Amino acid sequence: MIRLTDISKRFGNYQALKGIDLDIPSGELVALLGPSGSGKTSLLRIIAGLEGADEGSIRFDADEGNELEKNVGFVFQHYALFKHMTVFENVAYGLKVKKRKDRLPKKVIREKVLELLKLVRLEGFADRYPSQLSGGQRQRVALARTLAVEPKILLLDEPFGALDAKVRKELRRWLRRLHDEVAVTTIFVTHDQEEALDVADRIVILNDGKIIQEGSPDEVYHHPNSPFVYNFLGDVNLFKGRLEKGKLHQGVCEWEINGDIVSQSETAVGFVRPHDISISRDHALKDSVPAWITYIQAFGKSVRIELKRQDSEEYLEAELSREQFTELRLQIKELVFVKPNQLHVFTPDDYVI
Amino acid sequence: MAIELSPEQTADVRKHATTEPAVVRIALIIMVTVFLILFLLFPLIIIFTQAFSKGWQVYLAAISDPDALSAIKLTLIVAAIAVPLNAVFGIAAAWCITKFRFKGKSIFITLIDLPFAVSPVIAGLVFVLLFGGQGVFGEWLFENDIKIIFAVPGIILATMFITFPFVARELIPIMQAQGSSEEEASMLLGASGWKTFIHVTLPNIKWGLLYGIILCNARAIGEFGAVSVVSGHIRGLTNTMPLHIEILYNEYQFTASFAVASLMSVAAIFTLVLKNFFEWKMDKGMGEKA
Repeated sequence: MIRLTDISKRFGNYQALKGIDLDIPSGELVALLGPSGSGKTSLLRIIAGLEGADEGSIRFDADEGNELEKNVGFVFQHYALFKHMTVFENVAYGLKVKKRKDRLPKKVIREKVLELLKLVRLEGFADRYPSQLSGGQRQRVALARTLAVEPKILLLDEPFGALDAKVRKELRRWLRRLHDEVAVTTIFVTHDQEEALDVADRIVILNDGKIIQEGSPDEVYHHPNSPFVYNFLGDVNLFKGRLEKGKLHQGVCEWEINGDIVSQSETAVGFVRPHDISISRDHALKDSVPAWITYIQAFGKSVRIELKRQDSEEYLEAELSREQFTELRLQIKELVFVKPNQLHVFTPDDYVI
Repeated sequence: MAIELSPEQTADVRKHATTEPAVVRIALIIMVTVFLILFLLFPLIIIFTQAFSKGWQVYLAAISDPDALSAIKLTLIVAAIAVPLNAVFGIAAAWCITKFRFKGKSIFITLIDLPFAVSPVIAGLVFVLLFGGQGVFGEWLFENDIKIIFAVPGIILATMFITFPFVARELIPIMQAQGSSEEEASMLLGASGWKTFIHVTLPNIKWGLLYGIILCNARAIGEFGAVSVVSGHIRGLTNTMPLHIEILYNEYQFTASFAVASLMSVAAIFTLVLKNFFEWKMDKGMGEKA
């Protein structure tokens, strides 16, 4: 287990981290998720020992290391491959620079490197130079180089950031499988919520140098603790109104809300994801708002519909399944009735977090 | 509004947008060529024709004269000491500036440039004021029988001061562009600082380093002003090649003076060739950046 206690870090006038407390159990695959400038990379570099924290402490469990520097593997955002060395030499580097008494014989190093190249599916590339590889291949060389020293903790800084969408998805699955095979504690930094939700066991959401929420992908996605998290994890529609007796009121409309929160508040905002909005042609008085369809994006497995409310002229976004869409036969410029099914309400207090 | 352009028309537009008219181009080329011939090629030819004006025998005699040989020897010794030391200092300074965060970094960078800004004569005078007979450390040096001014150590110090910026100036932009992530990767893979430097940093900067060393060496051999102030012009003892050339010239031994000058010119041409080679290597290295 890695235990971070009250970590703070300042760069000049900029406070990058503000009192981070975090426990990371052994063997977990954890995502540090946040927008740029949230401090996630600083936190990763502090765990790696590349930066010192101004305040606070990091403790590693016995199995992860007194000899810390040897047990932390770090994969850099732009891979930081040694460009004057071949792929083979890159991967062998960590084994070759060991002190003479700890160093493996040449033959064993060679076998180990070839085995690692097989693991990252780069068997035929041993003699190439980094400049002769694609982005995805470089990424895998960087991983193999890091895994060669058998780290107990694997840290990855925006591991898929510089890759194109298809390779990214493929490597994502592959990292997940690798983590399950090699059983190292893995922490990766990302600004891509989909990536974090897809790969990680646990997500730590950071903003402005602080941890906003941590939990399983399911927890943070379905039970966001703040408007920030709700916003950051996906597209949202906002329904501003006031809270009264556990219902959100807006003009003539009122909606039941789920979750137990304060039942009275002058101002409140209901959040709803596009796929939790339903569209119908029947006018049900209290829980639907009239809106014009302004745009329909009808490719892929779901259909995205952009609407403009008739009353407030605010834009809404809905996502329907293909079946629903064909059933309704919606047309652009048509007036329909929109109903939020899953309103998640936050009051001004929540914005303080 | 869309305007249809025929292919010829578009080509025409482009030509005018990117290149000057032929007259201007030819005029510029002629100007540069004339300038180069007049100020570079012509003097170079003069040096060699003057040097050989009285035949091979005189030329060989001039450069094998004991005083000339001692000047050549001293120049090489000074360069052999000043250049490696400045290579080490230059790497250290560039390393400090590019790999660490600290206060006063910009002052530090300015200080590195100081020798470029200060007149070499003043640089020489500073050493005289520090280590000369009337200087700050003069008395102590005299008591301990250490000679710096009007001796070889003074020449080496002055040369080092003048040539200090070359290596650092060359390395700072290269190391800045490369960042420190390769070094960090090496350290995290368990390499010591020394191994990281040898296996990662040095291969990345080697062409830039050699380029800086070549420039540093050229200046160390050719430095006149600062060395002239601290040397004392003692023939056969503290005369470097540039000083020797001046003395010969002042004594109206033109042929001998140009003979030694021709040696320095050969060194300069050699330097240029090496410099271009390293430049080419560096560009190639940059192109391969992963």
